[in-house]
This record gives sequence, C-alpha cells and structure tokens, in this order.
Amino acid sequence: MWHRSASFILDKNQNDTVYPADSVTLTPPPPSSISTPQNPNPNLNRNMSMSAYYQTRAAHHGVVTSDWLAQSQEAATRAVATGGQEIVDGGKSGRAFSVIDEFNNWRKQPDLAEAVAAIRALAAVIRNSEAKTMMELEIELKKASDSLKSWDTTSISLTAGCDLFMRYVTRTSALEYEDFNSARSRLIERAEKFGEISYKARKIIAMLSQDFIFDGCTILVHGFSRVVMEVLKMAAQNKKLFRVLCTEGRPDRSGLRLANELAKLDVPVKLLIDSAVAYTMDEVDMVFVGADGVVESGGIINMMGTYQIALVAHSMNKPVYVAAESYKFARLYPLDQKDMGPALRPIDFGVPIPSKVEVETSARDYTPPQYLTLLFTDLGVLTPSVVSDELIQLYL
Amino acid sequence: MVAHGRQCKIEGSQATARQTAELLRSVISQQRVPYTNQAGALIDAVKAVGEQLIAANPVELAVGNIVRRVLHIIREEDLSLTTAAIGELNLSAVSDDENDDDRDGNTTLSAAAVAAAARSTLRPPSLQTLLEDTPVSAAVPQTSSSGAADKSSRSRKLKHDVIEAVNELIQDIVTCHEQIAEQAVEHIHQNEVILTLGSSRTVSEFLFAAKEKKRSFRVFVAEGAPRYQGHLLAKELVARGLQTTLITDSAVFAMISRVNMVIVGAHAVMANGGVIAPVGMNLVALAAQKHAVPFVVLAGSHKLCPLYPHNPEVLLNELRSPSELLDFGEFSDCMDFGSGSGSPLLHVVNPAFDYVPPKLVSLFITDAGGHNPSYMYRLIADYYSADDLVVQRRAIAGN
Repeated sequence: MWHRSASFILDKNQNDTVYPADSVTLTPPPPSSISTPQNPNPNLNRNMSMSAYYQTRAAHHGVVTSDWLAQSQEAATRAVATGGQEIVDGGKSGRAFSVIDEFNNWRKQPDLAEAVAAIRALAAVIRNSEAKTMMELEIELKKASDSLKSWDTTSISLTAGCDLFMRYVTRTSALEYEDFNSARSRLIERAEKFGEISYKARKIIAMLSQDFIFDGCTILVHGFSRVVMEVLKMAAQNKKLFRVLCTEGRPDRSGLRLANELAKLDVPVKLLIDSAVAYTMDEVDMVFVGADGVVESGGIINMMGTYQIALVAHSMNKPVYVAAESYKFARLYPLDQKDMGPALRPIDFGVPIPSKVEVETSARDYTPPQYLTLLFTDLGVLTPSVVSDELIQLYL
Repeated sequence: MVAHGRQCKIEGSQATARQTAELLRSVISQQRVPYTNQAGALIDAVKAVGEQLIAANPVELAVGNIVRRVLHIIREEDLSLTTAAIGELNLSAVSDDENDDDRDGNTTLSAAAVAAAARSTLRPPSLQTLLEDTPVSAAVPQTSSSGAADKSSRSRKLKHDVIEAVNELIQDIVTCHEQIAEQAVEHIHQNEVILTLGSSRTVSEFLFAAKEKKRSFRVFVAEGAPRYQGHLLAKELVARGLQTTLITDSAVFAMISRVNMVIVGAHAVMANGGVIAPVGMNLVALAAQKHAVPFVVLAGSHKLCPLYPHNPEVLLNELRSPSELLDFGEFSDCMDFGSGSGSPLLHVVNPAFDYVPPKLVSLFITDAGGHNPSYMYRLIADYYSADDLVVQRRAIAGN
C-alpha cells in the first residue's frame, strides 16, 4: 500500500496500542472504531467506501448529481452524530477539541488547498495544547497528524502537508529558541502564514508559465485545477490570444465548471468528451494539467484520465506541462496504477446497472515521469527529476 | 566591445565569455559605490552594461550567461558579508547583554540560528525553506546602527570579494577545456569508434587527451557543410596520429551502425537540457537514437543558459549569408532581386544552428562533471539567481 519508511510504521503501531488507555471522550468511542477505516462516509448499502478527498473536490468543482447529494447529506448527519475523535492527552475533561473537525471546517472553503487546511488544523492543535515542552508538543502534533492522515488515506496533499509541517516543527525545535513560548508562537504564526504561501505559490506558478503560452496557441486542459485556472487567468489578463480545449472530466464533470469560468474570462473554449482527446490532439500545442500529488519518481497523481491524455500527447510529440505547488511532493513511489491506495468515487451512469456488473470507480491515476515534459512549481520550472532531489533534501 | 560584438569580430563562445567577464570586472572596479546598498548599485551598473552587450549580440547566449553569473556573484558575496556582519554583531550583543534575556526576539536569536537562516536564503527556494521566512531582514536594522568605520570597510570588502570571484570565473572559463578533457579517459575506451560533426575545440582537446593516455580509437568526422570545418578537424586529428575517416553529413545515417559513441560540442545548453548546436546536429542525434548509440555533448559551464527555448528572448537560430552555399555569380539570374518582375523564385537559406531536444542527449560533460539532461536545473540553480533571468534595469534601485 503506502510506501513508508520503517519509522512511520513503528509509530503508527505504538499509537494504536497507546490510544485507548489515554483518551477521555465526551461520546465514548466504540472499541471497534479504531480498527475500522476512519472514513467519514462508509456507504453501507453497496459495501464501498467513498474517498473523502474526491468528495470534497467534487463539492468544490463538480456538477452536483442527485445521488451524490443524498450521500453527502447522509455523511453530514453521520459526522455530527459521532463527533469526531479526541486527540488531546487524557485528563482534560470538558474539552471537545477535534483536529478532524477543524480540518473539515477549513477544507470547506473552495479556494483553500488541502495542505493549507491541514496545516491550519495542526496550528489549531498547537494553540489549544497545554504542553510545556517542545517534545510534548511534538508528540501531540504527531498524534494529530497521524489521525488526520488515517482519517482520509486517499488525499496525498493532506499527507504531504502534514509531513512537511512535522518536519518543520522538528527542525525549528532543533534551532536554539531558548523560550518555549516564543518557539510555539513562531510555529503558530508560520502555520497561519502558510495560507499566504500557498496563495503566493499559485501566483508564482502563473508567472513562470506565462512565457510558455504564446499567441495563437491551443491548450488542452483536463480536470479543474485551481492552479491551472490561475495560469490561464493570468494569461488572459496579459492579453494573450489562445484557446482552450477542455475535457468533460467524467464523473465529476469538473470540465464543465472550468469551461464556465473560462467563458467568463472571454477565452475561447471548446468542450470535448473524454474520448475525443486523441481525435483533437493534432491541433493541440500543449497540455496543461494540475496534480493532486507529485510522487518521488517525478510522476503525478491526478484525476482519472490524465495518464491517457499524457500517453496520447507523448505519442504525438506534444509537451505535457504540470502545474503543482511544491508542498504536494509526496514520499510515494508507485510502480504501477494499482500501487496506490484506492480512492473510489461512485459513478452515476444515469441508468440502473445490474448488480453483477462491476464498475471501475477509481477516481485517480498515476502518470509516469517519462510522459511529462516540465513541472511548473513555486520552486521554479523544473524537470521531473527534481522532485526526488527536493524530497531527499527535506527528509534525509 | 559592444562595437566588436555587433560586427561579430569575436568568434567562439569561450572568447566572448572571457571578454564579457573582463569587461564586467573593469566596470565593477571603476564603479563608485555609495555607503548604503552597495550591492544594488553594482547590480544596476552591471545590468546597464549587460543589457547593451546582450542587445549587440543576441545570438551569442554566452554573453547573457556571463552577465547573469556576475550578478549572481554580487548577490552571493553581499549576502555572505551581511550574515558575517550580523553574526559578529549578535555575538557581541549577546556577550554584552547577558542580563537582558527578555528583550525583543531579534537579539535573542543566536548566531547559529541566523547563520542557518542566511545559508538557506543563499540557496534557491526549496521545500525545506518553504515554511520559513527570512529573519535576516528583521536583524538588518541592527547593522544600520553600527559605526561608520565599520561600513566603509564593508564597502571596500564587497568590491574586493566580487572582483576576486569574477577572477575565479575568468579562470574557470579559460581552463574549461582542460577540465573537460581530464574526463576523457573515463568515456573513451580501447578500440572504440567515435563520430563527431564539424569542428569544436572542446571535442578536439577531449580526443587529444584520450590519445595522450594511450587509448587507441578511430574517429569518423562528418564534414559539417556549408562551412566544412570538419576538414580542419580531420587534419588536426591526423597530425596527432589518430585514424580518421571523413564523411559527408548525409552519410551519417549510413555509417552510424559502425559507431560506438557520438561526441559533439554545443553552442549553448538550455535550461531544459536541450542543446543549440551547429546545423546538422539534430540529424546526428536522431541517427544515434535510432541505433542506440550514446550521444555525448561537451559544453563548458559558460554555455549553460538559464532560459528555456520557448523564451521569446532566445533567438534559436541565425541565418548566415547564402554565399556559403552558392558562390556569387552562380545562379545570379535566378536570384536577381533587383529586376522589376517581383520576388525571385529561388531563395537560399543558410541557418547556423540546430535545436536538439533533451530526450536525444545521453550525457552532458561539463567542467563540473558528467550529468544527464534532466539534472541541468541543478547546475543552473547553483550558478544563477532567479531574479536575474530578465536583465533589464528597473526604475527602483536594489535587488
């Protein structure tokens, strides 16, 4: 499943065993809650769990379908009933702080990136913690970060954001801050600022990609990425003449939403169904996609269909550009498509499907680095081999 | 030098790079720097001259490269001087005010923390520094309150350091051939057949060095129309005792199956790993890929350009005089532009360069070692600052 180093696995086991002894909760958690997957929306009817991350993305960018709406209503009522999990060390009765609730609150804002929501939630943990030493604080943060990660195992930028923040905390505590309070307030301040960093990152990426969009070019875009939207917005503001081919992006149909936004900017847009990509590829000058996560090999994990488009573009010698912020770099190394944890998203075909017909419901795929030309990140315009370099610098 | 550049009197990127560096060195030493923001003044002066130099010879990318490297040197030296000054200041402050531990947060930052932060600002942006801001900027007001004597010694030191670093740069440019040639023995083995196109001084030094180390190998030289510099290279190789075969450019595909390795020079290397090379090189690269022959490019670090080929500033090609293809007088009736019957039917186009995409290149050998094309970004991050990609003076002074 997830490719983690040994230390992560050891810590996780310890946390699981330590946890039931310490916690004092308002609503007593059923003892089985630790072993079942911490998924906010288990769909009991069809025995299939839905990826919370893709659910949120659909909420932000997709076209709302009726049965999805019913599922989300169900999820909301269920979340309220269970009330999340207690994270804070035992002994503090009367405090119902839950990092997962905090994270969910932040995540609801459509303009906020996942990693930013995660880091804000962790900042709230620091603020509400009563630790007196850096080690205590670090342990609390580790617990909170692990629970966030296990709550939604499918979101890569969540994991990457948590890891990045934990790494920063460890490094900051190693520097000589004589005063615990000043160190703690510095951590909180930097975490709050991270939202700005993320926003600035999008601006930097948009600026870097301006040179690559020339007058009269045709750009193919897949899925609704806020970063790619920023790139195209800035190009339109700079009065560049270009047109965009936009795939529909089933099953979220986020392409429709993107087409709407582009039409508002007076950019000529043409909608394609996903199968029409190869048909139109010869009139395309470049392909622009975002990324849910950038893996160590330099490949990307993105909405289902990206791999297909990259293959077609590569065979026709069209460049594929990826726009991704640097905090999406994750320590994963998938060797094939099934190497990642499943992120499932039920598909509404519009007609009832007989139950013995299986449906491939995975929401994302992995595009290997040899099909990508360049990565636009806030660290600069990079070739795919940079990613592992950066990760090594950060983690080793 | 601007006049020389415009008339293309200086040929060859190494000579151009060296002249540029020496010119910028004299600009820096003559520049009067004010007490505050000396680096800004130096950077402005260099940018002003650099703009003119680049405009005079836009095809020669080495000019822009050297200008940007000098700018990067100025920024680096300035930062290291600032951190050294702050470090000294903080150490003295800490020793004087041991009792006042609860003063504002700036002075309680130990020297180690400041140095660590400054080290991170010298490097290009990375994941490690993503969450940090720059505490150095908070500590700068401390230095402005220091004595005047301290500042004047700092200003002289900055110029001195910068000129020293530029001297090192010039030394690197001059010795790049030797450093590349040192690596020849690792790549050329006994009884190999090497193919090259045209004539490049780096390639000839490389081959001579391997010959010195008693490797016996054969060389196929493609003549490199229309300038036929391959003929000169073949003569030089024979003079050194190397078995040489001369072929036309069109024969490359026919002969490539007998070749073990292709070694060529480059005019410039772009940031994505693509190569701008004399015309005909793309042909050789494609042939090498088809027959799985390693395609090795030799380039000194002054040829490494931080721009991408899509950048509108980069002129990918230069059209030279058609007289290299056809003698004046031949076909003169077909090419008579002066006759009143509209434009003539015969055009003669003589492009000077070719673009080789990065996926066709197996290895780059620079004076910093051998790397594959996707690693080029690293060298660029070491040599250049992101602020200098556009060499144009802005109205405000400073970085």
